[in-house]
Amino acid sequence: MVIIQFIRPVKNQHPGKSADDITRLYPVPSPVLHLLQEACYDCHSNYTRYPWYTNIQPVGWIMAAHTRDGKQELNFSEYGSYSAKRQLNKLKRIREQIATNQMPLRSYTWMHAGARLSNLQKKMIIHWIDDVLQANKGTGY
Amino acid sequence: MKRTILGVLAIAFLLAACNNAGQPSQAGPDSVSQEHTSTAAADSAPVTALTPQFSGLDSKVATSLKMVVDQYLHIKNGLADDNSADAANGGRAMAEALAGVNPSLLTPEQQKVFTDNADDLKEHAEHIGKNEGNIAHQREHFAAMSEDVYALVKAYGGGRPLYHDYCPMYDNNKGALWLSEEKNVKNPYMAGMTSCGSVKEMIK
Repeated sequence: MVIIQFIRPVKNQHPGKSADDITRLYPVPSPVLHLLQEACYDCHSNYTRYPWYTNIQPVGWIMAAHTRDGKQELNFSEYGSYSAKRQLNKLKRIREQIATNQMPLRSYTWMHAGARLSNLQKKMIIHWIDDVLQANKGTGY
Repeated sequence: MKRTILGVLAIAFLLAACNNAGQPSQAGPDSVSQEHTSTAAADSAPVTALTPQFSGLDSKVATSLKMVVDQYLHIKNGLADDNSADAANGGRAMAEALAGVNPSLLTPEQQKVFTDNADDLKEHAEHIGKNEGNIAHQREHFAAMSEDVYALVKAYGGGRPLYHDYCPMYDNNKGALWLSEEKNVKNPYMAGMTSCGSVKEMIK
């Protein structure tokens, strides 16, 4: 137990904003961006916030695995690296995941109260996605 | 007068088509039943044929793309049989088959179609593979996947003739396309309504 405390995963905190960040592709109103940062970015971006207990192993390891899997599915910081088709398909699925309460994961919101989305907050994200899809209609899909 | 005769003929045709498909003949000649006259109407109606955009594709690429289409049809048939496990097998096999395509053997113009669709398609294949037991979710990915595969076969062909079918009812009547190796309609979207749908075109 003592020894494993010295094996620490590399933190997912990249400096600066990536050239492929989603905010460079679509206009993201700041309240929506704030919601994404609070509810999604820990697992789906290059900027994870680490609460103090993630310094205790194996909590940090579990967190690192979650972040790795989450980024593989969807990474808002690398959104521009997806093909145009995949970008719009991902938005549709984000919309659906949020509308059907599949995301953010309950196992995550249980520990992170700030990541829980109210109905109004969900509507804000869904509305933003609908706007982006409408603006990009006929491109890449 | 001419109109009336045409109208009567149209109704007679529809009723005949419905009867042949084993549907109750009370289905009126409205647009919904017309969309669902299924196989009988599909067989008699002329299907437009589409020639793929590129000819003389590198033979290695053609073979590996055919394997991707094989797995697409595997998924399609799994879903049409309401067999989630079979669809999942197809999904995993498709992700592997996609990795076997070497786009560097293509001309830049040919390559673009592949790169525009490959990452999206791979993701759908993986999700269908991972969602054994959740056939509704597999079908959502299949609907999006079909758009990608359609784009690919329109460009490269499918290694065999393929039929572009359409189901107008899927996803609260938003509709979805799929591709099939057989002319008979076998709907992968609607459980219990396998013969529902129409043939849009044939891709050579």
